[in-house]
Amino acid sequence: MIEIKNIRKVFNAGKTNEFAAIDGVSLQVDSDRITVFKGPSGSGKTTLLSILGCMVRPTSGRIEVNGREITSLPEQFLAEIRRSGFGFIFQQYNLIRGMTALENVMIPSYPTGERRSSLKKRAVELLDLFNVSHKAGSRVEELSGGEAQRVTIARALMNNPRFVIADEPTAHLDTKLSREFMDIMLGLKTEGKTILIASHDPVVCDSIAVDRLVGMRDGRITTVDDRR
Amino acid sequence: MIFHPAIIALSAGSLLVSLMLLYSAFHGIRILRNWDMGSGSESQLQLERRTYLISTLVACALGFQLLSLFLFIHTVDCMSGLFVGAMCAAGSLKVNPFGYPAIVLRVINSILAGQWLMINHADNKAFDYPLIRKKYGMLLVIMPLIVAETAIQGAYFMGLKPEVITSCCGVLFSADSEGWASGMAALPPVPVAIAFYGFMAATISAGILFYTRGVGPYLFAGLNLCAATACVIALICLISPYFYESPTHHCPFCILQGEYRYVGYAFYLTLLAGAAAGLGVGTLTPFQGVESLKRIIPELQRTLALVSILSYSGFVVVAVSGILFSNLRLTGY
Amino acid sequence: MTFIQKQRNILDVALCSLLRRKGKNLSLVVAYVFVIFLLSSVMFITDALKREASFVLKDTPEMVVQRLVAGRHELVPTAYAKVIGKIKGVQSVSARLWGYYYDATNGANYTLIVHQDLITSPGSIMVGRGVARHLSAGENGTIPFKACDGSYLFLEIRSVLPSESELVSADLVLMSELDFRRLFQMPEGYATDLVLRVRNVRELSTIAAKVVQLLPDTRPVSRDEILRTYDAVFSWRSGLVIVIFAGALCAFLILAWDKATGLSAEEKREIGLLKAVGWETSDVLLMKFWEGMAVSLVSFLTGIILAYLHIFFTSASLFEPALKGWSVLYPDFRLTPFIDGQHAATLFFLTVVPYTAATIVPSWRTATMDPDSVMRS
Repeated sequence: MIEIKNIRKVFNAGKTNEFAAIDGVSLQVDSDRITVFKGPSGSGKTTLLSILGCMVRPTSGRIEVNGREITSLPEQFLAEIRRSGFGFIFQQYNLIRGMTALENVMIPSYPTGERRSSLKKRAVELLDLFNVSHKAGSRVEELSGGEAQRVTIARALMNNPRFVIADEPTAHLDTKLSREFMDIMLGLKTEGKTILIASHDPVVCDSIAVDRLVGMRDGRITTVDDRR
Repeated sequence: MIFHPAIIALSAGSLLVSLMLLYSAFHGIRILRNWDMGSGSESQLQLERRTYLISTLVACALGFQLLSLFLFIHTVDCMSGLFVGAMCAAGSLKVNPFGYPAIVLRVINSILAGQWLMINHADNKAFDYPLIRKKYGMLLVIMPLIVAETAIQGAYFMGLKPEVITSCCGVLFSADSEGWASGMAALPPVPVAIAFYGFMAATISAGILFYTRGVGPYLFAGLNLCAATACVIALICLISPYFYESPTHHCPFCILQGEYRYVGYAFYLTLLAGAAAGLGVGTLTPFQGVESLKRIIPELQRTLALVSILSYSGFVVVAVSGILFSNLRLTGY
Repeated sequence: MTFIQKQRNILDVALCSLLRRKGKNLSLVVAYVFVIFLLSSVMFITDALKREASFVLKDTPEMVVQRLVAGRHELVPTAYAKVIGKIKGVQSVSARLWGYYYDATNGANYTLIVHQDLITSPGSIMVGRGVARHLSAGENGTIPFKACDGSYLFLEIRSVLPSESELVSADLVLMSELDFRRLFQMPEGYATDLVLRVRNVRELSTIAAKVVQLLPDTRPVSRDEILRTYDAVFSWRSGLVIVIFAGALCAFLILAWDKATGLSAEEKREIGLLKAVGWETSDVLLMKFWEGMAVSLVSFLTGIILAYLHIFFTSASLFEPALKGWSVLYPDFRLTPFIDGQHAATLFFLTVVPYTAATIVPSWRTATMDPDSVMRS
């Protein structure tokens, strides 16, 4: 569970182009749910997602992840929380070119110093789960859009996180692949993962898998639609 | 001044290390002034990020410092040919009054920088930077020492004029002449041997006790200092003659030469590692009580104790094997 | 164990990242190799020359006594030898005859030395390999020498000297005293200089003082003094050349700084991603450290190996024009290969240390990139 209280995030503080990307948001994200943040670009949903994902510290406000206060933790501890607790799926996939799909999946676990063989085993299992294990040895440039998306999901799950965060995950997918993506998310939810998605894609927002739809505009939450 | 490539390299290296330390200290002051853990502001974040830069700079500086310590000794050793009467580093260092202060300061600075890195390591493991002020305060103490070292080393190199007649190690470390060095060489071997083996045994036992039970960190650190001193004295008056196979040759520098299979490097490396790590156990003890370090420090101390024990054991093994396989017998001498 | 595994994993990513940007890194490596090659070539050659010189001097007597007239080197009367021989501590004194001969037809300079072995066989000589090669003459060949009265002296080569240290013996011609005196019309009772052997090297300075006291027109030169002078001169030269190359080094450092600072958009994205998925600042720093180490190590080894080949196998072909000049007999000298830890350490401090220092700040800037930069792009 993540709880944020009265979060503000100000960019370019003290300068003339100062603006608040998030302006006083409080929210509780329950476990084993899919929460979708919906809003136009610039509404602050990506910033909110990075705050929830412990990537950035808010300018003010408090964040608790599973009951632990993390607002004032040094960056390196945030990195560790991120590594062990969160999996990220990015809009641009952000796979590292020149490396194989398998290596890309293993990357989040490298700093743990886990043995290579066990890392490999886990990564292959994940690729297998998403039916891309035949592409394990291929460089990521050679993957199709759908395959790249699935490799990205495998990478997000590499450290077996409690939370999965996806930013505009279907922006580069057609409707069929977008539906497939939501099916995978639903599967992950039933496995006990908490999923946070930022999107304005109707395929995502209207999916039956979504438990809660949070509407955003100008750095504030405008609507909260609990579907169950 | 002698325009030797190694001298240029050493001077450039020291200058670089000094600049790195100055830069670190400059940012250290900014951190000391503006640190506010509770704030989530941009400037606090920038300061936290600076700490990485400073850690990296000091770690690199220490690495360079250690490497250059040995290059320094080696260069000084090689240059002995340029000075009348000098046959090894001992003579070259005596060419002008800055030689010995330079090398002593180098050793002290290496150990101090090592202590700083240990504190830094512990501090970085805790989630609330508990030692931030102490460690940057300490950095401000180390910085002038490093700058002084660079200056003294510079003065030493500048003052090197070939053909200066100096006393060679035979005179400096011979039992007949006067002065601190020969005083050390003239010490009777049996008590020195007892002191050396005694302190070594005591330190290693205290280390093992600390490693297994976690008791007596100060005892271990204190004994460690005595053991390090005993090692230096033993090296001069007891151990080195066996390597030279000559009862009157006591120089602690000649063993660094190829003739003696560079065994000196093994001695000084193990001694330096043992002393720095053992001292680190003591340095970290006052911070055991800090809430966020309660689990980190004992673990780090155990590792350091282990490093220290192993290093000292290595020293003893090299010394004893040298004594056993030497053709020289000092008994009755 | 986890520590080593972690280093291995991160090293893996570092190497991969280096290989992905071959063009950019290759240009850096080429510059790096060039700088190391230059510096180590200088150090190799001066050190080899220094060793060669001390090799030559190893067998020379402890002290040479010359006579000075009006501050210039003059022939010394052999009677001086008796005076010096009476000084306490002097083991033996002998007179030496030697000099230089310019062969106008071949444009070469020879060093002529009177050798004891040839005393009974005037008319024969022993020559160094350089001379033999230059005149394409072997054993039993004859060489014409033009004496100072214009007449020619035909001397037969008895043997060619072994090439243990060619740098020294290349231009040597050993001949008998009779031939030598004939060639230069040097009066009997005079020699080029006197050499002494002493019982105790430590008394050299005392003996030298006594020689000057007894024979005020002489100048004693001790071997150690020559060695020291050589050492200082060679070290000084290589030091000077290194200072001259400091410009190249600075240019390289600026290049390294620039390369490390100027990250491409893709690199930025990659670092941002690593940070986002849970790499810590220190992990990225570690990766940058391994990248730097890999670049340094490859360049360092390549540079040193190239310099080694250059100096010891192609006889410093690039420096040849600067080194040669006093005799055309030197073209084929081979230096004795020699390398030690001090070379490596000195080079390390002149190149790798500044390189590392120059890349710390840029690496740190890269490593402290915001983890959410991937989200914002």
